[in-house]
Amino acid sequence: MALKVFSLPSLPRVDNGAARLLPAATTLFAAVISVLPVKIPGYAALTPMFILMAAYHWTIYRPDLLPPLTLFAIGLGEDLLAGSPIGVNALTLLLMRCAVLGYRRYFVNRTFPFVWTGFTLLTASVMLALWALHCLLDLSLLDFRNTIIRAALTVAIFPLASFMLGRAQRAVMGAG
Amino acid sequence: MIRLSAQFRLAIQRAMLPILVLLSGAIIVLGKADQLFFDSVRTTMTDSVGPVLDALSRPLTAAGSVIDRVRLIVTTYQENVRLEAENERLLQWQQSALNLAADNQQLRGLLKAVPENSVSYVTTRVIGNSGGAYVRMILVNAGAEDRVARGQAAVTGEGLVGRLTEVGSRASRVLLITDLNSRIPVTIESSKTESTRTSAVLAGDNSERPRLIYLPAADAAKVGDRVVTSGEGGVFPPGVPIGIVSAIDRAGPRVEPYVEMSQIGYVMVVDYGLARALPQPLPMLVHPKGRGKTPGTSGTGDETVAR
Repeated sequence: MALKVFSLPSLPRVDNGAARLLPAATTLFAAVISVLPVKIPGYAALTPMFILMAAYHWTIYRPDLLPPLTLFAIGLGEDLLAGSPIGVNALTLLLMRCAVLGYRRYFVNRTFPFVWTGFTLLTASVMLALWALHCLLDLSLLDFRNTIIRAALTVAIFPLASFMLGRAQRAVMGAG
Repeated sequence: MIRLSAQFRLAIQRAMLPILVLLSGAIIVLGKADQLFFDSVRTTMTDSVGPVLDALSRPLTAAGSVIDRVRLIVTTYQENVRLEAENERLLQWQQSALNLAADNQQLRGLLKAVPENSVSYVTTRVIGNSGGAYVRMILVNAGAEDRVARGQAAVTGEGLVGRLTEVGSRASRVLLITDLNSRIPVTIESSKTESTRTSAVLAGDNSERPRLIYLPAADAAKVGDRVVTSGEGGVFPPGVPIGIVSAIDRAGPRVEPYVEMSQIGYVMVVDYGLARALPQPLPMLVHPKGRGKTPGTSGTGDETVAR
């Protein structure tokens, strides 16, 4: 993938400290809740990728408040915490930013189904890439079914996550 | 803050993303090459986030127990019928077990067998899981401060859960027996013929049911056979229950663990005293977080058998 660099769109300035921290804080929270033990059979393998939801939401609506360095740090933290090969989540989030910023103008100020479709495409490609990467790192062909179910769950839960992030955004930053 | 020229700042901003992407790629490669360094970073991270996870996982545990209770109420009647039947059966087993235990004690006396090492337990709460499709681990809230050490076994009442791979000062990581990287020497105890005991290796593949590999013969394991640790390699003592052979597919026999990995709330980290050669067996120490507990006088029943 070519690493084209996009100039950030001009967004309304926020001076409020809470508002500036909100994107990073919610993304970090998403990283933490994905390692919490939930007593549902098979859940551990199928945990939705909460971190992707938060990162996608903020990259569309406030990319200025979730800069690459923050994504990198949170991704690395998630890798350390979850026990996945180190650097994988960091790379995923950064590439996600590249991809989403390129198509941002198709999503912003559009109805939710557009945003959701975009997320579905993103999740599909991320899951496929992660699966391929893990196969390469473990040098074995890993089970693909879990990946599909995990992708489906992530896409299915996105509307709820997006709704809650949107509410938080409006509450802390005001309309925008 | 130093005022940078607008042009310079823009250049940094533009270069940041590609630089970080390359850095992440480099870290993935380095992480594969120098695992020791990254393991220590990981331990530090787990340690510092441990208390947060501990606090956050408590409401989940509470919610889980409410659901469990509701489920129990719904199924009480059938459960009771089943348990009564099982109890009757178990009472017969108890009789034969008592007879065998008496026999065993006498025979050990005759043989002057060395008693098995006493063990010490630390009971810990599960505060996190791996949260991904490609690793099977759990985080527990005990560490070096609680006298937990790398390589010790994590078990529940039902059987083996896994082995401690990283130990911080307050939190540790347990590699489950279902993880892709888990390999455990086991013994297959045949359910049909009483005397057959076959050695094999239990290999996790991230599925719920690990495989048996390195079997001496293709038909060495049959559905219904019991799988326990063999004690080879010295990490686990022999005889810790793991599960039963539940199916035989293309990849070989699969073992259904006794422990339902997704339902674990607490695990016991057991020090079998195998990791280091101890001058004397550890006294029994059954106390959660075994901290500040002075070892009592050892004088268990086992002692009298051999000496």
